[in-house]
Amino acid sequence: MGILEVNRLYKSFGSHEVLKGLDMDVPEHSIFGFVGQNGAGKTTTMKIILGLLKPDSGSVTVCGEKVTYGETRTNRFIGFLPDVPEFYGYMRPLEYLKLCGEITGIEKNRIRSRSEELLELVGLKNEKKRIGGFSRGMKQRLGIAQALLNEPKILICDEPTSALDPVGRKEILDILLAAKGKTTILFSTHILSDVERICDHIAVLHGGRLALCGTLSEIKERHRYNGFVLEFGNEETASMFYDIEELKHPSVNMSRDGNTVTVLTGDRGMGGNFLLDVLSRRRIVPLKFTVLEPTLESLFMEVVR
Amino acid sequence: MNGYAAFLKKEMYEFAKTYRLIIMLALSAVFGIANPLVAKLTPEILESLMTDGIVITIPEPTVYDSWQQFFKNATQMGLIVMVILFSGVMSTELTKGTLINLLTKGLSRAAVILSKYTCMVLVWTASIVLSFGLTYGYTLYLFPGEEASNLLFSVFCLWLFGLFLQAVILLSAVITKTGYGCLLITGAAAAACMIADIIPAAHRYNPVSLAADNMALITGAAEPSSLCYAILVSCMFSVIFVLLSLSVFRKKQL
Amino acid sequence: MDPTRLKEYLPFLIPLIIAQLALGITALVHVLRHPRYRFGNRVMWALVVMLIQFIGPAVYFVFGRGEE
Repeated sequence: MGILEVNRLYKSFGSHEVLKGLDMDVPEHSIFGFVGQNGAGKTTTMKIILGLLKPDSGSVTVCGEKVTYGETRTNRFIGFLPDVPEFYGYMRPLEYLKLCGEITGIEKNRIRSRSEELLELVGLKNEKKRIGGFSRGMKQRLGIAQALLNEPKILICDEPTSALDPVGRKEILDILLAAKGKTTILFSTHILSDVERICDHIAVLHGGRLALCGTLSEIKERHRYNGFVLEFGNEETASMFYDIEELKHPSVNMSRDGNTVTVLTGDRGMGGNFLLDVLSRRRIVPLKFTVLEPTLESLFMEVVR
Repeated sequence: MNGYAAFLKKEMYEFAKTYRLIIMLALSAVFGIANPLVAKLTPEILESLMTDGIVITIPEPTVYDSWQQFFKNATQMGLIVMVILFSGVMSTELTKGTLINLLTKGLSRAAVILSKYTCMVLVWTASIVLSFGLTYGYTLYLFPGEEASNLLFSVFCLWLFGLFLQAVILLSAVITKTGYGCLLITGAAAAACMIADIIPAAHRYNPVSLAADNMALITGAAEPSSLCYAILVSCMFSVIFVLLSLSVFRKKQL
Repeated sequence: MDPTRLKEYLPFLIPLIIAQLALGITALVHVLRHPRYRFGNRVMWALVVMLIQFIGPAVYFVFGRGEE
């Protein structure tokens, strides 16, 4: 049983149906990448999880407790970082964290020490400015600090890196990685390289439901099509290999470009061993024999198409 | 109740930090001092303006003139400034999205509404007390030995009308998302009360009487008991509006 | 108004002047330290705040003050 479960969630805005029976299960202590195109419904899903939006039907369970729209009880398990976090501009970072701590009901001394700890973690320790003078990246970092303040079981981040420059993005990802182990992280994005960098689980939202879900390695394994790239010493050998009778099969797709031949086979029985067999029988030694790894991008494109 | 206390503290802090508290208190103090002074000086100013030929006898100013100034300024400038200062009470939080962070921290929506109303009531009370105290002190100094009747009751009515108006502000702020919308609805509500006051029979029940009959109370032209229905109606509607704000805000999609 | 009358009103005038100065100076400091306004410019707001008694600073803080 996951720490966060989403069951058959439906939500439409007017005639536009955003979620069509979304099911999702986030296991504890994972970094869960929630991927989808812009407008796929990532933010909507998160707001429903937080009780800020009312689903048309379906339910959400956080740590075994059901989320009710308009109530905020289940939010005590959750730390939330909105895509563009907004704070009271007249406050200083410590004042803001103090307010958050008081609202959550943390003990006074604890707020102080925890706030300083977190500001250190996000690199705002020596920032005495009012929040009104903060840059985008600084606000994002303060956002993470306030989200982690109550030691949440789940940290939900809505596109934490989209609006930032490469340096700011790397900083945020490093902070999230540092928080791993202490908490479960659900984080939405459309930047696939971010997902590959820190996530262990991934879910792709498309057409109102999950088109793909599992651990990163599992998904890659499941979607491994048998693709191989062979490079030969000269074009002659390459075309010889290209013309082999045994490989003329409907499930085999070959293309040749100069010295290299790319083989894609849909039939599991005609995989790497089969190719190696063929090569040894013909006494051809390729310069290189590479297995094609599916990339997240190719998977994503395949699912979204 | 953690959330309520913490959020109330934040509201007060915000009111002070955005300079609205100092404006409210400074204006209250200034009017408080100026009321008796203007009452005392008006005849002299009029006299100096008069040309030689015309002679109008101007009655010697009394304690009533001072309180007339007080109620005129408090019901006009005082209430208007208050409405303007509080019109952004929800809109800035809703349009900027500053509330989302705190709600996701477990702050209950009811605590937001109640602490915002409490903050408004506290500021209004402080302003009335300050303005009234100053006018009272200086009136004693300028018009010694004269007494006005039902003074505290009359001020209480004005204060209560402020509370009623603030409940209207709160509800319209929750319904509309913009500060202008809030101003518009509050203005419309106030206008509706005033129009209803044209019907003589409605006057007994109309909350607006609480801010209109103050002088009559002081001069003894009206009995305090004549306002008991208006007080009842105002209290009732204030409570209803706050409860409505709670339920509207609870169902609001953020 | 003769000087003796003026003396009689000193208890009023002093607090009023103090209040006006306090409000005006608070506003002026804010105008000079925060160069961004919702509309208008620094010179305009400095004049408004100093010359229009009470209402000037109030208008500035409610309508003219820019985001920090």
